[in-house]
Amino acid sequence: MAGTLTPERTARRLCELSTDARAAVLLDAAGSPAGFHGVPKSRSADLARLARELIEAVDRAHRDLPGGPPEQVEAQVDGGMVYASRTPHWTLAVVARRAALSSLMLMDLRAVLGELEGGPPIRRSTAAAAEGAPLPATEEAAAGETPVPELGLDGEDSP
Amino acid sequence: MKEKRKGPIRRAAGIAEGMAATVRRMQREREPRVLVYDETGYARLVQPDGRGYERLLETAERMVELVGEADAEAKPRRARRASASRDEP
Repeated sequence: MAGTLTPERTARRLCELSTDARAAVLLDAAGSPAGFHGVPKSRSADLARLARELIEAVDRAHRDLPGGPPEQVEAQVDGGMVYASRTPHWTLAVVARRAALSSLMLMDLRAVLGELEGGPPIRRSTAAAAEGAPLPATEEAAAGETPVPELGLDGEDSP
Repeated sequence: MKEKRKGPIRRAAGIAEGMAATVRRMQREREPRVLVYDETGYARLVQPDGRGYERLLETAERMVELVGEADAEAKPRRARRASASRDEP
């Protein structure tokens, strides 16, 4: 089906969604790399191995923590942030800039994994100019678009 | 209630306290930390003396370094490509 997200395109999709994402790697349930973006092919195996180690370390750390098994992890270190999110089938890890907003990045990770697993595609808003807005941006045009009915207008038609 | 007027020394001390608090906050924000989230989005901080903390940080640092090295390698290549395209007639 056209537009369906494939494992090969998933890491790229995440980096396109978030400007703070520098590189990403997708692992399958067995921990094998299924796609990457942001690093040359020669380094993709290293990134995948480190992402696998990160998830293993999360599972080790979880034994001392209350609550359910971790689904997402966020690590802040000198020079950047690392996030990872997993489902029973996939793990997506991303290296991001320090300026990245954690809540947004974690939401993007969940959204991309959801799309990969057949969920609704992520809709990206586009600027009105890009869609070829026919109306000029005037106050009159804006007034015509208001969804709130103006008071007193209903009474004009009545006798 | 009438607010007590502050003298110049008190005002300066207030500004200094504010700046010190900002510096402390910035230092806290720069400190390495690891958070894990369960399926409900509930966040838990992995304590520095907790199991796996060092390994988590070390792995994350290596990931950031790897991407930094890859970026550094790619930059000269990009610059060469850009200059080559500029030289083309």
